[in-house]
Amino acid sequence: MRQAGNNSDIFSLKYRLRRLQRDSNKWSIFTLAIVLFLALPVISIGVKLLDGPGETWSHIVDHLLIDYIGNSLFLVFACSVLVLLFGISSAWFVSRFEFPFREQMEWLLILPLAIPSYIVAYAYAGIFDYGGSMDLLFRWIGLDFIRIDIMNKSGLAFILSVSLFPYVYVSARAFFLNQASNLLEASKMLGVGELKSFFNLMLPLARPAIIAGLILVLMEVLNDYGAAQYYGVNTFTTGIFRAWFSLEEPETAVYLSALLIIIVFALILFEKWQRRKKKFSPLKSNDIYTHRKLISTWPRTGIFIAVLFPVLLGFFLPVSQLIYWAYLTYSKVFNPDFLMLSLQSFGIAILTAAVTVFFATLLIYFSKWSFLGFIRNLARMGILGYAIPGAVIAIGIMIPTLAFDKWLINMLDYFFNIQSGFLIHGTLVALVYAYCVRFLAVAFNPIESTALKVNSSIPDSSKMLGVGNLRTFMKIELPLIKTGLLSAFILVFIDVLKELPLTLILKPFDVNTLAVKAFEYASDEMVMEASIPSLFIIFTAALPVIFLNKLLIKK
Amino acid sequence: MLTINSLSKSFDKGRSFALKDVSFNLGKGDVCAIVGESGSGKTTLVRLIAGLERPDHGTIELAGEMVSSLKKLVAPEKRKIGLVFQEYALFPHLTLLQNVLYGISKLKDKLNRAKEVLDLVGLKGMEDRYPHQLSGGQQQRVALARALAPNPALLILDEPFSNLDAMLRKQLRNQVFEIIKKTGVTAIFVTHDTQDALSVADEILILQSGKVVQKDEAANLYIKPNSVYVASLFGNTIQLNKALQSAFECPLNANCCHAIRNESLTINSECEYVTHAQVLKKTFLGDNIQLMLKLDNGEQLTVLTKERNIEDKIMIGFNSKDVLEFTS
Repeated sequence: MRQAGNNSDIFSLKYRLRRLQRDSNKWSIFTLAIVLFLALPVISIGVKLLDGPGETWSHIVDHLLIDYIGNSLFLVFACSVLVLLFGISSAWFVSRFEFPFREQMEWLLILPLAIPSYIVAYAYAGIFDYGGSMDLLFRWIGLDFIRIDIMNKSGLAFILSVSLFPYVYVSARAFFLNQASNLLEASKMLGVGELKSFFNLMLPLARPAIIAGLILVLMEVLNDYGAAQYYGVNTFTTGIFRAWFSLEEPETAVYLSALLIIIVFALILFEKWQRRKKKFSPLKSNDIYTHRKLISTWPRTGIFIAVLFPVLLGFFLPVSQLIYWAYLTYSKVFNPDFLMLSLQSFGIAILTAAVTVFFATLLIYFSKWSFLGFIRNLARMGILGYAIPGAVIAIGIMIPTLAFDKWLINMLDYFFNIQSGFLIHGTLVALVYAYCVRFLAVAFNPIESTALKVNSSIPDSSKMLGVGNLRTFMKIELPLIKTGLLSAFILVFIDVLKELPLTLILKPFDVNTLAVKAFEYASDEMVMEASIPSLFIIFTAALPVIFLNKLLIKK
Repeated sequence: MLTINSLSKSFDKGRSFALKDVSFNLGKGDVCAIVGESGSGKTTLVRLIAGLERPDHGTIELAGEMVSSLKKLVAPEKRKIGLVFQEYALFPHLTLLQNVLYGISKLKDKLNRAKEVLDLVGLKGMEDRYPHQLSGGQQQRVALARALAPNPALLILDEPFSNLDAMLRKQLRNQVFEIIKKTGVTAIFVTHDTQDALSVADEILILQSGKVVQKDEAANLYIKPNSVYVASLFGNTIQLNKALQSAFECPLNANCCHAIRNESLTINSECEYVTHAQVLKKTFLGDNIQLMLKLDNGEQLTVLTKERNIEDKIMIGFNSKDVLEFTS
């Protein structure tokens, strides 16, 4: 037996490099390629920074930047307080107490996610406007209308909170339902009351889940363009738009984007840090039934109202306003052109959902088939696009696609004497690419979680039977992760349908979407007409929200 | 058939080793059991042989071909190894027949071969069932049939009976190894149960914290264990430390370790080394009685006996030929 006395230098650099050479396969390279493809927008913003800021940059720094930062920070704090209040209280009530219509409330609380926040903003402007719904209501009752001005930054914080609190609700409820039951019983057995158990036990334990939901809300807050623009609040996103379209200074837009990226990544790091500090291993719950508390009539009614309140604010009130407007304007808006536009919008969403699900699946499986640990970590970087505001991604895509197209046009002209227009820039390709970067995580997460449910010995045993990675995927894994792919497809579809800022920047001239149409109406002082495309988006998005929630409850 | 040379694997970049410097050979047609406690590295070892993990050091040769070294790694699907997983890993969306056909789709005579192996494991007539419609023991046999169908050069069974209850386990163990002997395939069988290993394996390899402690034929391993650890794996063993040696008045080589198997102890009968003992406590364990003894020199000792009528004072002893001696 040869004695390997060299075990000590197995992990020397020389050995590591030799193993790296041995273990890198085509899947490692493919994974790397996909991640680079997804990171290109951020990389190009980084590279473009080297060109220096535009002429107005110093003006912006002196006069506007304080405003951008101040408003964005105000929104972040105000929205945090409100969404935590709405999200945690409703999650606690539906998972701990029995009250009338509780089951319906569980999914109704998710519905505000079906309405893009800019549409909520339009609806509330209508509700509180002179001659708006509130005004009419007050006059009908015979009272003087006390006008509440909502079109300012406090109003914007309210709008964003009522439309985004479900992110916190969903993650908090998932925790309370899966984990709380046993722990609460233990706490009760030790003689601790309901309220004290909640504040001393459940809240600290649920904190990582709640903050994860909160971070999603804050990313949406920073991403918002439509609502802030309509309410005249200067934020980073509106600043980027102004720099790009009004000032026509891409360099300035790039500088603002870079700043926004830094803020977003600070948020992500904060989230990671808070989770690392408090790493609670999830308990296996044997008990899938949550024993809800039965309470007497008055508190029960109180809880019902407390839960109904955010749903009213986030869904029923704005939707009623929109339906009223739609009733007033449908004859004007509803025409064959509008139908074509809807089809186009759905078509783009379907195409994007398919492409995004495809790339997410590739990323998950290619990185799995790579044997290199750092490649697997890198794959997770590929999904960070969800954190980057749409306007920033749009700018980041514009830069390289424009450069590539110019290069290609020159080449075609030089070598083949072909005069060609832009091939990617300003076409559907660039738009779908940008959506894919932004929404990859939306597809990645459901696919990955179903993929993880497939025990790794299943594909392993396929390999032991002489079948390679790709065929194993097609024959074994694909049939087993179908539900994950379907929910990924639906989720991306909805997000694309609702998306505004990125679409505004990158959409081809002759293409329009429902979201852009609603925005155009609202910007052209025709906010009533915006109701029809808005309702189209809402109802399309609401159906799968209900459907997916049913799936969630079944599990 | 299988030659493994100084195989090492660490999952934390060398801070600790799941497997360190493992070397051994396996002849054609041998059935070898790999025995070790959980965490001893036995699953890592078979996953390295199968190609599902990548070694940090060392080589694996299979049927004369280098399948794993620092330069080259043959993909698991090209190694012609059959692996029966602990949790069976049947494809849940395929029928029993489709599961078995999966690995032999390129074979001309695949349907006959599938029927043949299903017959071999005694599952004829159940071809159209799905895995969830089968009992644990049946699933186990399907997994075996599926692994045997492509005629693998080496068959690995990873803890094949750990998910079954004790009754079924014994029955299935014999069935499975009858089938394996019938096919004449070289097999590696991973277990933490020494009874399983002794009853079916030609050879046993003992792993302890990633290292090979001993590899020998089953009977030899029992008679001549090379360490207290190995001895204790195959039955109750009492280490003969200095205090016990003086109690029994048996001077042993001070440079060695010594132990005696519980079954070699005699009660109230003549033998070379004896001592008187007082019974402090008797615990009824069913087939055995556990005695807590206080020896003449005050030393305490716990032994098992089949003897039913034990008085409060007994004589306990052993013969020198039963003393196990370890140089390490």
